[in-house]
Amino acid sequence: MRLLVIEDDATLRESLVLEFGEAGFGVEQAADGREGLYFALEYPIDLAVIDLGLPEISGLEIIRELREKGKTYPILILTARDRWQDKVDGLSAGADDYVVKPFHFEEVSARVNALLRRSGGWASPILNAGPVTLDMTRQDVTVDDKAIELTSFEYKIIEYLMVRAGQVISKTELTERLYDQDFERDSNVIEVFIGRLRKKLDPESTINPIETLRGRGYRFALERSQSD
Amino acid sequence: MSSLSARLLVSVSVLLLFFFGVTIVVLDTAFRKAGEQAREDILDGHLMQLLAAAEPDTDGVLSLPPDLPEARFGNIGSGLYAELRDADSDVVWRSRSALGLDIPLVATPEPGNRLFLEESLEDNTPLLTLSMAVQWEIADNELKPYVFKVAESLDSFNAQVAGFRRQLFSWFAAVALIMLLSISILLRRLLRPLRQIESEIGDIEDGRRASLSEAFPTELAGVARNMNLLIDSERARSDRYRHTLDNLAHSLKTPLAALRALLSEIIAQKDIAGRFDEQIDRMDEIVRYQLRKPAASGASKLGLTPVSVAKEVDRLVDGLNKVYRDKQPAIEVDVADPIRFRGDSGDFLELAGNLLDNACKWCEQRVRIRIVPAIIAGESAGGIEIVVSDDGPGIPGEAADALLQRGTRLDESTPGHGIGLAIVKDIARSYGGDLTIQVSDLGGAEIKVTIPPAPGS
Repeated sequence: MRLLVIEDDATLRESLVLEFGEAGFGVEQAADGREGLYFALEYPIDLAVIDLGLPEISGLEIIRELREKGKTYPILILTARDRWQDKVDGLSAGADDYVVKPFHFEEVSARVNALLRRSGGWASPILNAGPVTLDMTRQDVTVDDKAIELTSFEYKIIEYLMVRAGQVISKTELTERLYDQDFERDSNVIEVFIGRLRKKLDPESTINPIETLRGRGYRFALERSQSD
Repeated sequence: MSSLSARLLVSVSVLLLFFFGVTIVVLDTAFRKAGEQAREDILDGHLMQLLAAAEPDTDGVLSLPPDLPEARFGNIGSGLYAELRDADSDVVWRSRSALGLDIPLVATPEPGNRLFLEESLEDNTPLLTLSMAVQWEIADNELKPYVFKVAESLDSFNAQVAGFRRQLFSWFAAVALIMLLSISILLRRLLRPLRQIESEIGDIEDGRRASLSEAFPTELAGVARNMNLLIDSERARSDRYRHTLDNLAHSLKTPLAALRALLSEIIAQKDIAGRFDEQIDRMDEIVRYQLRKPAASGASKLGLTPVSVAKEVDRLVDGLNKVYRDKQPAIEVDVADPIRFRGDSGDFLELAGNLLDNACKWCEQRVRIRIVPAIIAGESAGGIEIVVSDDGPGIPGEAADALLQRGTRLDESTPGHGIGLAIVKDIARSYGGDLTIQVSDLGGAEIKVTIPPAPGS
């Protein structure tokens, strides 16, 4: 998953980028409102973390602009202002949740995960589809209650696909969202990883969790067991 | 006398009385004078007729024919009388009309002169009399003095005058009444803008409107404009003050966040990091508490725009539905629209936001917010009552006391817990209201905040 962090305080921004990176996200960062708005409009991202008190263009304006331009990905507000007035302003401008400064990173990361999950239509962090269960908090996958050993990159792919279960995800989208910018983008690598995942999740080829749609991409094909 | 219109009405009434009084006296006098002159001329005419008709008879005594040209002399009690007296004032002749009447003899004019007198009969009938003394030549060179006298009853004349006066009075009274009535209507219309200003200022105080309207007559437009400027500057001043304070405190928060972020990187010394963290929490809570203090406390309520409660609650509920999307509490909203909160909109959002947020946090499934006009001593006078209930575990008595204490003894409190209720209580108190914690019929806590009407409204 690719996040955008717009925060003008350098220490805080760098720390967030570092922590999100360690948690397995690809992260873009912007230090002011103008740059932030540009990135938010032009880059392929899954969620934006936006500070409200930004130089150049305020966080609220960025959020309004994004929603006006039809961007629907979740937005998490970071705010120093914790009067309800400010929270309500942010939420009604189009943000989905807020975290009040000074925060613990765990809180931010929990909110981000919840927002990403919800945007895929899942109500709980334990995603269930047929025999496959993915626990977003523990970052593990089981098939028929048997734990599956996955590398962190394999986990990222299955999480991305499963959160969007039923949707077709192109190879380009997968590479963009899962690699950091400085990685070499090679779609063959994705094919290799998908192949490995299939083998680990479905060694007997009985459930076929990941479909290949020729020329279009991949789809997590199992019926969701719970969603909202 | 404090009312402008009463003052004006009284002054106008006095002026009208004076003006009409003088007019009535002048008209009455003129009418009377003209009438009297006419009477005298008529009497003079009758006298001349008598003089012309008089003839000495065979005895050398002056006498008058029985049929005089003026018929009224012949009709008994006609009101027009005549008599002729000789040198001894004995009546020589008397008209038939004067039969049985005794016309008094008050004075006799000098020979050749006329004398007008107002006299009266025995029955007090007023008379206007004209006497004339003549030397009548009966025979050659024999002159005999006679006095001719005609008299006319003033009854009809007086009746005429009285009728004229009656008409005069009733017309003037009617005109005066119409004038006073139209003046008071005019005044009402003229003074309406003043009354409007008064009621609009009242509305501003009660928070029902933000500024005076612009539609005033030229004379008052300046006053209204200046009032609005004053209100605006008051509002701007309190906004500026709030902003300065806000910015000051908020500028602390980002460094605090950065500090905490840095600390999380000191993995080796977890223990020290934890103690740092505690201090950061404490500082954060102090800042938060100061920031959330009621915005309107001590500020003039004149500078505040009324808050449309229903709209703000809708925004809050929309926001909370996003934040609690996983839990999906059923938030039941029961707001008696159009209800207004006369105060700072931030304060209202803070009240309702904290209460709803707590309820959503603790509820199983159901949350209810009810906002109704507060009933104080049997009537609603502009106060409101906010009741938020949930079906959660509720708040036991001692815990409730402790929760409410937190705001006042912040330095002794443990960091990390919500300070929402203490803030709500502080805001309610700053508006002269209060907060009570009860058990809800939904099974959980029920927090009731009562905000009384503004003093003087």
